Amino acid sequence: MEIKKWFRPFEQLQMEQRLSILTIWIVGVGAYWFAVTSGEKRLFPPPVKVWEGLQALFNEGLVHHIASSLGLCLQATLISIVFSLVVAYLSPVPFLRPVAVALSRMRYLPLTGITFYLAIVVSNARAMQVWVLVIFMSLYFITSLLGVVKDIPQEEIDHARSLKCTRWEVLWEVVIKGRFDYVLDVLRQNLAIVWMMLVTVESILVGAGGLGVLIKNSDRFMNHGRIVALQLVILFVGLGIDLFINYVRKLLFRYSKI
Amino acid sequence: MSYESKDVILQVENLSVVYDGKTIIKDINLVEKDTQRAGKIQGQTIAFVGRSGRGKSTLFRALTGMIEPATGKVLVPDISKYNGEAHTIALKEVHEGDVGFVDQKYTLFRHKTVYQALHYAMRHAKLSEKEKKEKIDQHLAEWGLEKVRNQYPNELSGGQRQRTAILEQLLGTGTMMVLDEPFSGLDVGNIQNVKQAFELVNASHELNTLIFSSHDIELTVELADSIYVVGYPALDNGQRTNYGTVLQHFDLKKMGLAWKDELNGDHLDLIKTIKKTMLDS
Repeated sequence: MEIKKWFRPFEQLQMEQRLSILTIWIVGVGAYWFAVTSGEKRLFPPPVKVWEGLQALFNEGLVHHIASSLGLCLQATLISIVFSLVVAYLSPVPFLRPVAVALSRMRYLPLTGITFYLAIVVSNARAMQVWVLVIFMSLYFITSLLGVVKDIPQEEIDHARSLKCTRWEVLWEVVIKGRFDYVLDVLRQNLAIVWMMLVTVESILVGAGGLGVLIKNSDRFMNHGRIVALQLVILFVGLGIDLFINYVRKLLFRYSKI
Repeated sequence: MSYESKDVILQVENLSVVYDGKTIIKDINLVEKDTQRAGKIQGQTIAFVGRSGRGKSTLFRALTGMIEPATGKVLVPDISKYNGEAHTIALKEVHEGDVGFVDQKYTLFRHKTVYQALHYAMRHAKLSEKEKKEKIDQHLAEWGLEKVRNQYPNELSGGQRQRTAILEQLLGTGTMMVLDEPFSGLDVGNIQNVKQAFELVNASHELNTLIFSSHDIELTVELADSIYVVGYPALDNGQRTNYGTVLQHFDLKKMGLAWKDELNGDHLDLIKTIKKTMLDS
């Protein structure tokens, strides 16, 4: 095994060597964590405190809070993906394209301004949580989905046209059916932003629970063990969602090569 | 080899195409007739050669009805009025879907299996479901695609993909098919695959007509029975225009060079002539 190769850019390594590198990193980070948290003065809580924090969170209904967060995420995702798909799928219609492009550009709008106006229109706090997420998710989804539509090669459009497809059939076959697997991929890519935003949005309505509420409570008591445990829980739930969507994509779309 | 030229199967009259005020092709006129050989079903193979950027792809899009010409028209056989007898071929102006189109990537629907793609191509055919299935099964067997009938394009080899793309157009459109650089980037085996597909198409119907472009002049001379050289025409002052047109036409049937198993000295002379015309344009 040539260790030198591990430090050479663009080097292709065997699977066992890649696994060795990964193991070294995991052990190294774990050891570093133990080492820097063993003294009196420390910025980061030791593993044992994180474990205690996790147990405390579990006793306070962590599973219920995760379910609440996932429920909110699912509700907002469903509404925003339907809205975004309609906008993106109609973007090849020249008259409607400016609307889709304008909505995509709105992603530069600050969150605070939008929540201010939403607070005037929506009185229910849960609905407010959902709509803040829907608006922001939609803007990102629309941007990504417009990219997917734009990247469809002209050859695919011409191919469908040569087979006597009307323009609406081209849209159905090439854009909607032909790129359905990409929708799940767009979902995966954007879910990280959404998941991050979800925690912030949940603090709007403390009574509804959720991981965001737990973080807010932990912040208040400066319980570092709990905060880190919660961060790890959020990270792993997010990664779990990502893995699940990727699995579903591979399961449902055999023709997908992404 | 004896042959007869019968009805007109392709007529291009004074065709020009303009994009955003720029003339891409202009003054294109050509006529192709149904070639008949005794005791053999003989389709037509027409080739267009020319240097890059001379408007071949634009011409092909016009031939398939995918772009509106600025002037002129393209006439193709009206299959609905064809009853199999000679001198009964009515021509009509080409519309999207009348002429098959295969691009150099052999594009297919990525979400349809080979069988689904062929079935979809035949959706407008006036046949019962059973007849469609039988026709597809028969073609899959003849074209060596039986084993991959349930596979998606990303699961096909290059040769299988090429055959599927050509077969799909054969089943889905009329008798005419345009192939834009079908040999580009193919290895020897895949070139052989496409050549076999050409033979299958040509031998399956009298009116079947393959129109292709290629930068491989030797291969073009080997396969085509009619070759058009597209390039920039010369003005009276010797300068070249910046729109493409047909500069020269070689009827290999008349020249006695079509349908030969091997290239001979006359073919090599023709190759030289074509290359010179291309270089000058």
